[in-house]
Amino acid sequence: MKLSNIVRLYRVRLRSRVVQELFAVLGIAVGVALLFASQVASTSLNGSIQQLTSGVVGQMRFQLAARDPHGFDERLLGEVQRLPGVLAAIPVLEERVNLIGPTGQRTVDLLGTDPRLARLGGPLIRHFRSARLSGFPALAAPAPVARAIGVASLQSLKMQIGARMRSALLGTTLTEADIGALVHSPIVLGPLRYVQRLTEMTGLITRVFVQPRPGRDGEVKAGLERLAAGAFNVRSGDFDAALFRQAAGPTNQSTVLFSAISALIGFLFSFNAMLLTVPQRRNLVEDLRLDGYTGQMIIRVLLFDAVVLGVFASLVGLLLGELLSVALFSANPGYLTLGFPVGSQRVVSWQSIALAVGGGLLAACVGVLGPLRREIWLPLASAFSRPERSTRGKMGLVVLGLGCLVVTTLIVLLAPQAAIAGIVSLIVAMLLLFPAALMCVIAVWDHLRRLLTGVSSYLAVIELRSSANRARSLAIGATGAIAVFGSVAIQGAHSNLQRGLDRLVHQLSATADVWVIPPGQLNLLATTPFRDADTAALVRLPGVKAVEPFRAALLDFEDRRVWILAPPVGAARPIPVNQLVSGDLASAVAHVRSGGWAVVSQALAHEHRLHIGQAFTLPSPRPTTFRVAALSTNLGWPPGAILLNAADYARAWGTTDLTAYDVTLTPGVSATRVRLAIQKALGPSGLGVETSHVRELRQRAASRQGLERLTQISLLVLIAAVLAMGTAMGAMIWQRRQQLADMKVDGFKRDELWRALLLESALLLGTGCSIGALFGIYGQVLLSHALATVTGFPVIFSLDAMIAVVSFLLVTAVAVSIVAVPGYLATRVRPALSLQD
Amino acid sequence: MAPGELVALYGPSGSGKTTLLMLIAALLRPDSGAVLVDGRDISRLSEREASHYRLWELGFVRQSLRLMPSASALDNAALKLMGTDLKPRDAQRRVMPLLEQLGLAERIGHRAEQLSMGERQRVMIARALSTDPKLVLADEPTGSLDTERSCEVLELLTEICRQREAAVVLVTHDPQAVAYADRVHTLSDGRLIDSEAGSTFVTPVAK
Repeated sequence: MKLSNIVRLYRVRLRSRVVQELFAVLGIAVGVALLFASQVASTSLNGSIQQLTSGVVGQMRFQLAARDPHGFDERLLGEVQRLPGVLAAIPVLEERVNLIGPTGQRTVDLLGTDPRLARLGGPLIRHFRSARLSGFPALAAPAPVARAIGVASLQSLKMQIGARMRSALLGTTLTEADIGALVHSPIVLGPLRYVQRLTEMTGLITRVFVQPRPGRDGEVKAGLERLAAGAFNVRSGDFDAALFRQAAGPTNQSTVLFSAISALIGFLFSFNAMLLTVPQRRNLVEDLRLDGYTGQMIIRVLLFDAVVLGVFASLVGLLLGELLSVALFSANPGYLTLGFPVGSQRVVSWQSIALAVGGGLLAACVGVLGPLRREIWLPLASAFSRPERSTRGKMGLVVLGLGCLVVTTLIVLLAPQAAIAGIVSLIVAMLLLFPAALMCVIAVWDHLRRLLTGVSSYLAVIELRSSANRARSLAIGATGAIAVFGSVAIQGAHSNLQRGLDRLVHQLSATADVWVIPPGQLNLLATTPFRDADTAALVRLPGVKAVEPFRAALLDFEDRRVWILAPPVGAARPIPVNQLVSGDLASAVAHVRSGGWAVVSQALAHEHRLHIGQAFTLPSPRPTTFRVAALSTNLGWPPGAILLNAADYARAWGTTDLTAYDVTLTPGVSATRVRLAIQKALGPSGLGVETSHVRELRQRAASRQGLERLTQISLLVLIAAVLAMGTAMGAMIWQRRQQLADMKVDGFKRDELWRALLLESALLLGTGCSIGALFGIYGQVLLSHALATVTGFPVIFSLDAMIAVVSFLLVTAVAVSIVAVPGYLATRVRPALSLQD
Repeated sequence: MAPGELVALYGPSGSGKTTLLMLIAALLRPDSGAVLVDGRDISRLSEREASHYRLWELGFVRQSLRLMPSASALDNAALKLMGTDLKPRDAQRRVMPLLEQLGLAERIGHRAEQLSMGERQRVMIARALSTDPKLVLADEPTGSLDTERSCEVLELLTEICRQREAAVVLVTHDPQAVAYADRVHTLSDGRLIDSEAGSTFVTPVAK
């Protein structure tokens, strides 16, 4: 059979089903769009750091990195260069700063390097060399950053470094033509000497990137480790990208889960639409088989249908996905920017496109060929009869469904880390049990309707039991079930996580009444150090009871960037209540206060096989041994957290610098009034003063922003499902006009028929959505459990039945309302149609 | 059956007429016995061989007047030829004379919905004859037509098949259709009641 014949057959048949095909295109496109947009969000998040890392590092294999922002003596560079086997070494001074211009501010990574050596680094640094800035005390910033703060080339800007404000000169702006996609990275470059001067770190650097001679990697690494002597980190050149991947893991996992559910909803949407054309395709297959077409020839004909549909729908889906990705998913989770220079570039990988298009094609092929497998392969005489599924077959589905539920329960209890597999088995269980649930609902309704008068409920039951509509009814109901399931499960887990984070940030903020801290969103984790000042003036202020140092930092502990918190020794509640997952709070507090003990987050402890009482060495600038006082949640920071006292921190970091003052007030004093007094007393120190309430609100806003995408995608999934169910049900009813005309001839009234259609829709959609809501509640348990045990987030367990009820009612009501219109129009069919050919 | 001969299978509903037709079309396998067409037992054909047999050696005219919706009469008539190696244009060229002969020359561009029942049945006949088969099976071809259209269709069917020397097995319970047959066999409860039991019912088509 020639391809031209297949094309011709496709064309001549298309005219009669353009509308249905467009529905199918829309369905697949929605799935592809959600899949593509969430993939792009995920790859952009990881890709921005990957691009920045390779833009700086280039081919450099190793790095010698300081363990805190104070860096190390730049003379170490000479020693590195003299190591046997070293081909090149580049010094870098890196500092997170806040750029402030007339129209805004941006948090960026300030990178200082030696332009003479820049040719050895990645493309970003190489360009810096040729940017004619080498000898000038000026900075180079990506054009979007310069635009955002309203500063042009050769203009000055303000720079907040810790608690200090500095003036700097912007020498040049870098465009996409200069540095490609890195133009979207939050980074500013400058000559090493100039950056050292700006940051008051003369003679200091934070990293040395090293390129060994060919075949001498091991020798160079050993030499670097000797030089580091346990006080610095020796890592691969692109280690930051690995650190980030670990930190972004929970975000990426939730994106993957949503992608899968979105794809499933999109597939069911398209499947519903394609079921509209199944009778037509079934007739065609019968004709072709009678005319002597072989099974393979028929598959080629149908496969061509599927490929055209899949390709076209995928292209539309990619376009929609692109719009979604730009309009909705472009904001990165804010909490990650606290520890990493996350850029705003969109990284569209070929894998994202291939996955989305492959998914679209697969959905089209399954949607076209799946319902016709009997007609294609069975002997012709039996292929076109529709046997009822036997009772044994129905029971088999129920048993399989229950089996999947057991698997899910085992995963919840024994292997919560396999949450994604658990969600899959839960969805499979729901789909397998749905037909039985629907039959039960119909049987109950059939029983109840006997108590009612009117023919509508009778007609609704007859239609729902009809084998002619069975596949389509089940597909429509399953769409609602999956959409409500996804929404309830993920929104419920989201709500549990949000409540847990809210409680945590309240507890963390409430360790002081007023916080004195370097200002800016950059410093939400209170990790920006500043020099200890004379606090006597503050203590003397009316209403101030005590002023104590608080210290915190981000520390690279193997492949995790861990949050170290060190509240004052005398803090009333140094360990937030409810955050311990193992150990006794009172003894943990006593141990931490006494020094030499630390509370370690569970996931981190699990990774290092640490248990309570065991000693471990913290890889701080001065490696220090601590013992584990208790195990905690991750304190809201995905890679994990370690809590010790401020004095221990000072010893382990070898510094008296602190990152905040915890101010405790005399009971009954207004925090707002004292805040103003403290701000006045501090003068032009660059430090900000905020009440614990304001700090809590800022932290809450950051955590809500981090989880915002979950809400957005969940809403999109619900909208897609409502559209899918409404249109599929409406179309199914519209195709039933001949039958409605027959019933009118038999004397049924229009309003009786309309009520019957609405009742049928409500029963079908309601059953689908309610089973989705029930399973969604179980999904909440599974996801919340996984979040708590795998990532260690502070989750408050509760079953959010309200989300389930609202989702169920909303989706059912909206879908039935959509169906009401075509239902009403269909019942206006002329009875004469019944008597026409 | 002789080339161009029309044999009618007559009998009430449930007598086994369509089952017999499906056996001849290699759509069903007999529990026992053989179905010989052109000296070959077609009940032993594989699925692939049976498809080839239906495509090239058999024409099937159904009672159902189901055409591809929205497709033209020409495209509907050429559907069977699309399964061959002919290009679409050649397939249409090949089926055109048949449509003209069936009186549809003016209607070839009309969509299925725009054709009358009689015209639709003529399109089905053109499709069945498009591969020039030696045997045509017609299952109640006038079941959906009024008397006048039935006569038209039967006349055209017999005339064209005679010209093309295609034997026709016509299944019907319409006495009027029986009148067009060269031979008539009656079936009742799955048995021939006017023929010797156990004999081969349809003889090989003479070359």
